[in-house]
Amino acid sequence: MKKFIKQGLQTVDSPYQEDGEKRSLMNKLLLGLSPSEYLLQAFRNPFNWILGLIFVIGIPILLGRFVFGLAWATSGSNDYPWGLFLGFGLFAMVPLSSSGFQLGTACEIFGRHDLEPIERLALLNGLLGYFFMVVSFGPAAVLFLVAWHVSTYLSVQILEVSTAFFEWIGFPAGKRGVRRITLGLTVSGIILSTLHQGALGALFTYAPGKVHPLWYSSSFQWLHFFVSSLPGGLCMVIAVSTIAAKTMNWRGDGRFHANLDKITVSLAKGACMGLATYITIKLIAIAHDNKWSYLDSGWGQWFMLEIILGFMLPLVLMTYGVNTRKMAIVRLGAFATVFGVVLNRVNTAIITFNWKLPHREIPPWREVLISITIFAIYIVVYRFILYRLPILYRWRAEEAPEVVTETEAVRSGAPIGHASTAPIASYSNMTKLD
Amino acid sequence: MPSYKPLILSALILSVTASFPMAASCLSAPDTIILNQGGKLFQPFEFNHAKHIQTIKECADCHHHTTGTLPPNPKCAKCHANSSPTSVVSCKGCHSATPFSPETLSEKSNAKERYHMDKMGLKGAMHQSCISCHQKLSAGPTGCQECHERSAAGKALYYTGKVADKSSKKHH
Amino acid sequence: MKRRNFLKACVIGGATITLGKTNKGWAAGSFEGYPDAMGVLVDTTRCIGCRSCEAACNKEQQLAPPAESFEDKSVFQEERRPDSTHYTVVNEFEKKEPQGPVYRKVQCNHCNEPACLTSCFVNAYTKTKEGAVIYNSKVCVGCRNCMIACPFNVPGYSYESVTNPVVKKCILCYDTRLKVGKPPACVEICPQEALTFGHRADLVKLAHERIRMNPESYYDHVYGEKELGGTSWLYLSRTSFDKIGFDTTMGNEPIISNVKEFLGMVPMVLSIWPALFSGIHLLSKGKHDEQGEHHDTTQEDR
Repeated sequence: MKKFIKQGLQTVDSPYQEDGEKRSLMNKLLLGLSPSEYLLQAFRNPFNWILGLIFVIGIPILLGRFVFGLAWATSGSNDYPWGLFLGFGLFAMVPLSSSGFQLGTACEIFGRHDLEPIERLALLNGLLGYFFMVVSFGPAAVLFLVAWHVSTYLSVQILEVSTAFFEWIGFPAGKRGVRRITLGLTVSGIILSTLHQGALGALFTYAPGKVHPLWYSSSFQWLHFFVSSLPGGLCMVIAVSTIAAKTMNWRGDGRFHANLDKITVSLAKGACMGLATYITIKLIAIAHDNKWSYLDSGWGQWFMLEIILGFMLPLVLMTYGVNTRKMAIVRLGAFATVFGVVLNRVNTAIITFNWKLPHREIPPWREVLISITIFAIYIVVYRFILYRLPILYRWRAEEAPEVVTETEAVRSGAPIGHASTAPIASYSNMTKLD
Repeated sequence: MPSYKPLILSALILSVTASFPMAASCLSAPDTIILNQGGKLFQPFEFNHAKHIQTIKECADCHHHTTGTLPPNPKCAKCHANSSPTSVVSCKGCHSATPFSPETLSEKSNAKERYHMDKMGLKGAMHQSCISCHQKLSAGPTGCQECHERSAAGKALYYTGKVADKSSKKHH
Repeated sequence: MKRRNFLKACVIGGATITLGKTNKGWAAGSFEGYPDAMGVLVDTTRCIGCRSCEAACNKEQQLAPPAESFEDKSVFQEERRPDSTHYTVVNEFEKKEPQGPVYRKVQCNHCNEPACLTSCFVNAYTKTKEGAVIYNSKVCVGCRNCMIACPFNVPGYSYESVTNPVVKKCILCYDTRLKVGKPPACVEICPQEALTFGHRADLVKLAHERIRMNPESYYDHVYGEKELGGTSWLYLSRTSFDKIGFDTTMGNEPIISNVKEFLGMVPMVLSIWPALFSGIHLLSKGKHDEQGEHHDTTQEDR
């Protein structure tokens, strides 16, 4: 894409092409390129080669799971009924996808409109994580509280992201309809997220003897999961926005790029508070049940590795980075947090699970490959949406749904018809058109 | 004058035999008994009662206190030192063939005065009694088929002779 | 518009509280079992490891043919667990002891307050008044939460089924025997009467009486009497239970006690969150118009 943009391609960010013609759906889908140009840019991207390799090997195995059953695709273990799919796909991806309700709350409830440039990305991040969790695992993923909460929450998230879709597809009535119920949606989102993030932790209270005591707390398991999901989601947004800013630099508009560092700092501050809280309540829980002696063991060392590398170190890095405005260090801390949250979930669900049994379950290669394939599909869908929908950029539509904007545009005497030429004055003085 | 000698002699003999009730009852004990007559999984078989009487001599070793003699176990003797013989001596007289049927269980719970609440069923009692002694003396059959052969139904139930396929991998 | 949203959220909150209350997690108090519940006493001092119980179970429950004969003693070389085609297994312990090994039968313990039942969100499990914990395969969605929850690692899963893998375990021969007044197949076939069937309350007394009458033969504990709220399968042993494959660290609280705290939180969150966050929104700095659109106050204050 970079080459085409250098050659003068107009990025698709409005319903109209350069020459004033309305964009067709095909045009929007192909990013304003002709089919052959589109394929060319796809082939030129080395990341697509890796994805292609994964799919060539992985898709047949993924289909094989449905043809041959779980015994073929997984370890089929009775002692470890929840393997890699659930351990990673459910338990790890859900806290990372908590960004949806967090940014929604921040912007809509707490009025932090300065975070708006990243709000849609956070909502999308939330939606995709849950969507792939539910869709990928079919009957195995449906659990009571998680089940009806997640399906309800999925609807909430779909609606919240739909504003971007309605803009892109050119259906302003839909967008207005959703904006009217946004407050209700957001509050529902907070309720549902608190409960199901906690519920995922509470699932392990059914098996108190099976999770190692350092990862298990009878009273606070759900709180640990809920609180750690907060920095998990925020740092996932930082991580994704970093990757997006690097790999699809052309897609983010001026507002996005200009504000990214500032927003990253705000998110990192929130994440630091979450991390500090989590570390505190984790230590309280150990003290509460007097589990200090467990630290003096192999498991204890593994626990310390997780909490130091995955939670304490990121806290230090992000605090330092925020204070000295060293963005690279902030981002490193964010990635480390994502690693830490994932490690914590995988530890609880798979690695320290059944710690009293003599054998550890190593997932068979098919299960690993299927997990990688699904994650690759997740990335492809993520990228597909980010390339097209107005998530990282603002859709310059002539209807300009913000009331303020239209009034101002009229007042300034600018012609309404050609959105691409009229400077869209918006409520945010941080807007810059590229 | 009639002789009272035969009368006195028979009275003497009778009183002697009467004072050995064991001898008296042993005379009525069967020599062989067919066991497991209703057996479905194992064939019925002949039990050499006479041989056991000759070897063990003491009826109470198997028949507890039901023959009216002193049981060998001191725990039993506490109550049954002077018990008289019971009307039925054979095992199935006391040990039910269906120890866990609703009838047997309700009879057990209704019998408030009964002491022996832990009385085994017939199958368990016979196995425990016979095999434990054979093991102690290191003589006599102890394996399943050494006493009674499996029937066709039994072989089917136990999958007799089936060997694991070494190539198949077991899941936990 | 805002008021409407607020009220909407409260109605949703209220409706969900009512729904939340039907959660069966509320039902637990301390349940000592149905009064007429049956049970089985396993006297491991009598078991000789003949595996007749496994054979009888296989036939009664119409399970798949075993890999090897039930007379094969080589299976004792490794410790087995119940799975989808073996509802009960016998394991050998204390192999090197001079008195000889101890054999222990493993199967669903039919707990008074089963963890599997507690964790199943489709209500597939039922604790019958006869004491058996049975399940409905048709309702099972295959989530395997019960396998995670069972402290004895009992339920197996039919992973080999492509289209309908479900959970499978011992049901105390409920359908074919308990309901028609017959003891479970394993109990009936046991040649040593290592398995004693009867009312659970009676079996507890019986077990203690056996220990009392033969203190040199038994370890003074009846496993399952109190563990995890009590189970219907009780065990006697000549040695401490951890030596013959039992988990003795689990305590006497049923699993549901661990979960109640969180479940109690649910309606609290559902009731408090709507008002709390709507209130925060009302108090937040930004001005909000009819459509809930955004206004940047910094812009307008200028």
